[in-house]
Amino acid sequence: MSGTPAKTGAAFFEHFDRHAHGKGLKGGTTHYCPGCGHGLAHKYLAEAIVELGVEDRTVMVSPVGCAVFLFYYFDTGNTQAAHGRAPAVALGHKFANPNSIVVSYQGDGDLASIGLAEIMHAAQLGVPISVIFINNAIYGMTGGQMAPTTLMGQWSSTTPEGRGPMQGQPMHVSEVIAKLDGASYVERCALFGQKERKRAKTAIKKALQMQVEGRGFSFVEILAECPTHWGLSPQDSEAHVRDVLSKVFPLGIVKDEVREPWFNPGKPTFDAEKVLEVIDAQREPVKRFCTKFPTHLDPLDVSVKLAGSGGDGAQTAAMLLTRAAIAEGYDATHIPSYGPESRGGTSYADVHVAKDEVLSPSAPAPHVLVAFNAPSLEKFSMSVRPGGIVIYDSGMISKPPEVQAGVRVLAVPCASIAQKLGAVVVKNVVALGALQEATRLLDEKTFLGELDRSLKHKTNLIPLNEAAFREGAKAVRELKAS
Amino acid sequence: MAQPRPEVIVTEALCKGCGRCVDACPKHAIHLGTEINQVSGLMPVHIDHDVCNDCGLCMSACPEPYGLSTELYELEDPKKLYGENARRPKPATIPPRKIALPKVEPLVLKGNYASAIGAILAGCRHVFGYPITPSTEGAELMAKLQPKLHGVFLQACSEVATINHMYGTGGAGLPTMTFTSSPGFSLMLEGISYMIGTQLPGVIVNVMRPGPGLGYIGPEQSDIKLMCRGLGHGNTHAIVLAPTSPQEMLDLTFEAFALSFKYRNPVIIAADGFLGQITGRVTLPDHLIDPGLPDWAVFGDAAHRGNLNSSIFQDWVDLEKHNELLCEKYALMQANEQRSTGYRLDGARTLVIACNTPARTAKAAVERLRREGRPAGLFQPVSLWPFPIKALQQQLETVKRVVVVEASAGQLEDEMRLALHHADAPKVEIHHLRHMGGILPNDQEIYEMVRGLTEVEQ
Repeated sequence: MSGTPAKTGAAFFEHFDRHAHGKGLKGGTTHYCPGCGHGLAHKYLAEAIVELGVEDRTVMVSPVGCAVFLFYYFDTGNTQAAHGRAPAVALGHKFANPNSIVVSYQGDGDLASIGLAEIMHAAQLGVPISVIFINNAIYGMTGGQMAPTTLMGQWSSTTPEGRGPMQGQPMHVSEVIAKLDGASYVERCALFGQKERKRAKTAIKKALQMQVEGRGFSFVEILAECPTHWGLSPQDSEAHVRDVLSKVFPLGIVKDEVREPWFNPGKPTFDAEKVLEVIDAQREPVKRFCTKFPTHLDPLDVSVKLAGSGGDGAQTAAMLLTRAAIAEGYDATHIPSYGPESRGGTSYADVHVAKDEVLSPSAPAPHVLVAFNAPSLEKFSMSVRPGGIVIYDSGMISKPPEVQAGVRVLAVPCASIAQKLGAVVVKNVVALGALQEATRLLDEKTFLGELDRSLKHKTNLIPLNEAAFREGAKAVRELKAS
Repeated sequence: MAQPRPEVIVTEALCKGCGRCVDACPKHAIHLGTEINQVSGLMPVHIDHDVCNDCGLCMSACPEPYGLSTELYELEDPKKLYGENARRPKPATIPPRKIALPKVEPLVLKGNYASAIGAILAGCRHVFGYPITPSTEGAELMAKLQPKLHGVFLQACSEVATINHMYGTGGAGLPTMTFTSSPGFSLMLEGISYMIGTQLPGVIVNVMRPGPGLGYIGPEQSDIKLMCRGLGHGNTHAIVLAPTSPQEMLDLTFEAFALSFKYRNPVIIAADGFLGQITGRVTLPDHLIDPGLPDWAVFGDAAHRGNLNSSIFQDWVDLEKHNELLCEKYALMQANEQRSTGYRLDGARTLVIACNTPARTAKAAVERLRREGRPAGLFQPVSLWPFPIKALQQQLETVKRVVVVEASAGQLEDEMRLALHHADAPKVEIHHLRHMGGILPNDQEIYEMVRGLTEVEQ
């Protein structure tokens, strides 16, 4: 906190805690230079907060720049943001408490240079926050460098010859913001003369009012004086805004759309039943069918590699296998490896099924390989350990694989079987059926139960998938018989 | 008859003499001053009260809150500065509440999903993120689930914006988190420094991938150095927790929120790309958390009106004190939050040191070595910062050598060496096995290396 609390009906602290802990003069004055426009913008903002009766609900987000010490003055909730990030911080506050009135107060360097991404995103998003944008066409706090809004020909310490074409053109921020669909209200104001000051105050109040009503994103640009870095007296600075600045940046309403109040995200729930439902946790125990771990494959840990090209369904099959094993009370892991393409690239999956705990989840020497295409088969067939099994899609691969001694090879035309069933995409389920039949890794019913569970929202697909699984198993039985 | 208007007064010491009121006065009753005020050193304006009709237009042209006013401002009233009523009362903290969670079947979850569910159970209803492989599933699941819980998932315009959304929501006193991966984590560092300086909670799940630069999307432990030693500018530290499975992705994310609020500091979950993508069995905790609201929150309501989130200290002495306070918190974290676990540590002569997925491959190697009668063990740091030096030192009393196995150029080993040095630990023989680029040390090579170093014991 930064001061002695405001009196009732005021939004400024009664006494400021700034330098030297508020001792001396600093407890009663701002840190702004004589004639600076910031003080007036602060004053109108404080008045608007009081007139709308939102002192208790307001969170002010101060920027980096001359207004960095905004929190010394406003007896409201206060947050000081990193350079340019005030709108992002403001959104964080607004989502945390939709009832709060959040003001992002920023200068031209903060908003229109380093913070362009954040302000554009916030304006496009349209969530009701209010942005007060102080445009004095110069960097004040760092000592008079060029701002994005510096005028052509204007001297600054980084445009010592005046801003020229190599330094680009002054940015018309309000016009840019108004073009974004999320922005509801955009106005540019000034502080010279009583009439403009009154309009500025009215605009600031309207911006806050729109937020109070939950209507949308509001943005008020204020052409402010910087006598110090313009090298002008306060009086000449006012005249400069009137005669020069406001000619480049025309005053007035740029956008004013009436929108129905819409922002109402609701109150977060922490209800246990609701959370369990949402994360799809299952209350009823799953039925188990396996009576013992498949020690005929390995005493503790069986590894399976499924490999194909993207779209072959290797990952889905691996996932089904993993789920089925876990449903049986075993530990199981699935680790995918694929290229950046969503379809057509390589796609390999390593699955482990362990009696107690999977130690290393990768499968450099698997017990079982299921290969859907020739490159995968060629790449991995020799890695299958002696005593292991290779199942490959003989509909897609014509050349039988090279394997180590003692490895069984089963040619199952998965794709052709699936095609006969009317959907080539179930070739991975055909392969699972073949896998179960060839290895007796789990129980057939485990897989069928897992298919039912995974298709509970697409029950019409269950018969097809069950048929695919059974046909895969049948193909292996026929191979054994022949 | 209209009420007489109150008289407008210049508090001379507070007037900077800018003269904006001079032009604002329709009666020309105000003039620039000619005498220097002895307190301010500036020349305040002068009001000719014979001409002034107290219309008040000058006040609305005065940039100073108390320069022109209808009542005289008291400078340095000691009661106002230091008196009993000089501060808004501190609100009561609403403590987090544990809500019992009925027993359910184990879930089968990808590491990124498990972490997301850990966050949901920890009471996090505000998630911000930017898509980046291999962490994106976390954001995707949050986008799907949060609205159903009246929570928020916002896809930020960048990682820079992400961490600043978190600064806002964390500053409002609510649990917030993001999923990211190494290049995104780099972008967040300034914001993390701000969160630490401002003492704000938040959880960052960094699913590390190889660099430098774009690198690629495989697994690496590329950011241990950044997370333990390089959290942006200034005097920064955060607890860094390293899971090895989807279960630990959930458990550690769940716990990270409590730690984050306990210390008012961000907490980082350091996962590798493999862990983000691996699917496994996950058992849920027996409760979830309704987070409450801390007394320091800038929530935007009457109770919390007096609060401020800022890392600015204009007085250098104050800033040094603030840093000392942060150092005291770091010391507390080092004293209380060292975490580690192990596998076959009993009588181990060679200690494999590994975290994340390499700890799992190392576990498989250790198991194989033990079956051959070779006394190898795994020491697994769970907190990478603070490094679990106390537990490691206990082990070092009996081991002959350590082998640091990692998917980086020695970033974990550097943390260990630094911790050993600070602890004045006796010299120990240090070997290492490292990979980068997306290749993880596999159990075969760990086995072969440790076998070469470790005699069979009867």
